[in-house]
Amino acid sequence: MSDNNKKWFSLNLNSRRKQSTNAHSCSCGNNSGGCGSHQSKEELNEAEFLEAAVNASIGEETKKDGFDQVFDVKMSRRNAFKQLTASLLIGAGAVSSCTSVISNDETKEKAQIDWEEQFKGNYKLMSDDEKKATVNRLVRSYQIRTGKTISMSSKNAEKDVLFGYAFNISKCQGYMDCVSACVEENNQDRNSQMQYIRIHEMKDGKGFNFNEADDNYYHEVPAQGHFYMGTQCFHCDNPPCVEVCPVQATWREEDGLVVVDYDWCVGCRYCMAACPYDGRRFNWSKPEVPEEEINHNQHYLGNRMRKKGVMEKCTFCVQRSRAGKNPACVEACPTGARIFGNLLDPNSTIRWVLENKKVFRLKEDLGTEPKFWYYMD
Amino acid sequence: MNKSNRIIQFLGVLLLIILVASCKHKEEEYHSITDKIKAKSKNYHGVSLSSEGYFDDVKMIKITEEEHSFLIPERKGKIKSYACTECHSKPLNQLQTTNFKKAHWDIAIKHADVNTMNCITCHNDKNMDELKSLTGSKIDFNRSYKLCSQCHTKQFEDWKGGAHGKEIGGWAPPRASKTCVNCHNPHNPHFESRWPARFNTQKIKERK
Repeated sequence: MSDNNKKWFSLNLNSRRKQSTNAHSCSCGNNSGGCGSHQSKEELNEAEFLEAAVNASIGEETKKDGFDQVFDVKMSRRNAFKQLTASLLIGAGAVSSCTSVISNDETKEKAQIDWEEQFKGNYKLMSDDEKKATVNRLVRSYQIRTGKTISMSSKNAEKDVLFGYAFNISKCQGYMDCVSACVEENNQDRNSQMQYIRIHEMKDGKGFNFNEADDNYYHEVPAQGHFYMGTQCFHCDNPPCVEVCPVQATWREEDGLVVVDYDWCVGCRYCMAACPYDGRRFNWSKPEVPEEEINHNQHYLGNRMRKKGVMEKCTFCVQRSRAGKNPACVEACPTGARIFGNLLDPNSTIRWVLENKKVFRLKEDLGTEPKFWYYMD
Repeated sequence: MNKSNRIIQFLGVLLLIILVASCKHKEEEYHSITDKIKAKSKNYHGVSLSSEGYFDDVKMIKITEEEHSFLIPERKGKIKSYACTECHSKPLNQLQTTNFKKAHWDIAIKHADVNTMNCITCHNDKNMDELKSLTGSKIDFNRSYKLCSQCHTKQFEDWKGGAHGKEIGGWAPPRASKTCVNCHNPHNPHFESRWPARFNTQKIKERK
């Protein structure tokens, strides 16, 4: 293949030769229109390339992991980053740490971990060994950085389990103990006061009127003439947020949990817009939790520390539920308004509620099939 | 004539195909979550998880009420001054009524009104180690829910099924549920109003 007819971007930092891009023929075969990889500029400096790489990061994956992409963009994120980091890391970080005689083993190990973390695949496509490896790297990396040990799980969905949730609107008194427990359990950012759960104070006799509801009250509860109901991620069986994700960083697991791979998320917030229930949250700043308040019992898909610019949401406390426990909100509720369990177990309490109480769901007509039911006494 | 028949036939087949194809859900073979639950739970074989490890050394007793069978915490060991007969050796009518040191001074009944309930509606005045039903039959302190269920029948039904009350441990079997008195003070069963656990000051700023 001649250099003039390259089908990928390459960094030409040392070469003086122009990277020739033919304006009339494109790698995708289209002569016009949006294949996404058109670049009209003839020469790319490093900053421009970075921008192009990020823009095109929703790329077709390498054949190796069989990642079946929606968009026909010829430059994959992996290739882009590989080429980028090949020059940057080798030039700066890797050389100084890996080859240096003075730098200690820990720095080298850290560089190694960062390198492997950078090039890992989508969690959804990983084999169990790969999942374990990335979890071990994250635990080790945390240990190197902070000196503290965390435990992180990569436990897969259990067979014969489909999680479901029921919320008793005649029991909830609006104490918000669930919100507190959720924040602490899931290591949510304390600065932005991110909360997965919202408790809505509704006026009696007005039904579910979200326009007049107050989800940030602060007075003695329960208030006269009001009732309370909570919303969070409903773990839809037909989740619109998953449909719209351009990089497939969010998906529904076998046990019904809708989860996010924080390391694969590009932070486009399409899912946030697609969710009809306001179930998703975005990290506008770097999430910070005081060291002594960090919950060290973590899961890769759950409450591990997030970074800036990624989505997160309720996972029904995957680190707890996959171990057989109830989510933190269920455990914390002092009124017993929250019921959690296995929908496939005919003897479970959640099944009894669904079969014997009058249950309903929010916006049922959308066909999202949320696995979160409301009921009354 | 022949040609138009063909077209009609073709259209008919096309319609059939569209009908069949449109019946399919996009990615699942089920129309709704209820169908999915129904189909998938037919061959339910149980899970390998157990919530027994999360009982935190709470002693449990197994109860069976109609088709429901589950664990509840043992109660007698949790009552500070049990057994009652350690003090109350005689029946109530033989206890002194004057010149006595006040016992149980901190207990005030705020449960129904005085016409409906007093101490001996539930406590056995002949044998204080036991409770008694409205008709005078014995009820063990460990099974005090039998006492509550005499009046609160609806709550009892919901509790048995799991719609009222709280689970101990987790969702995984075996099921363990708190019994009535683990949440409600039997002498004052109403929940007090109080302030919410937290207030989101950031949300106020964001919405300004």
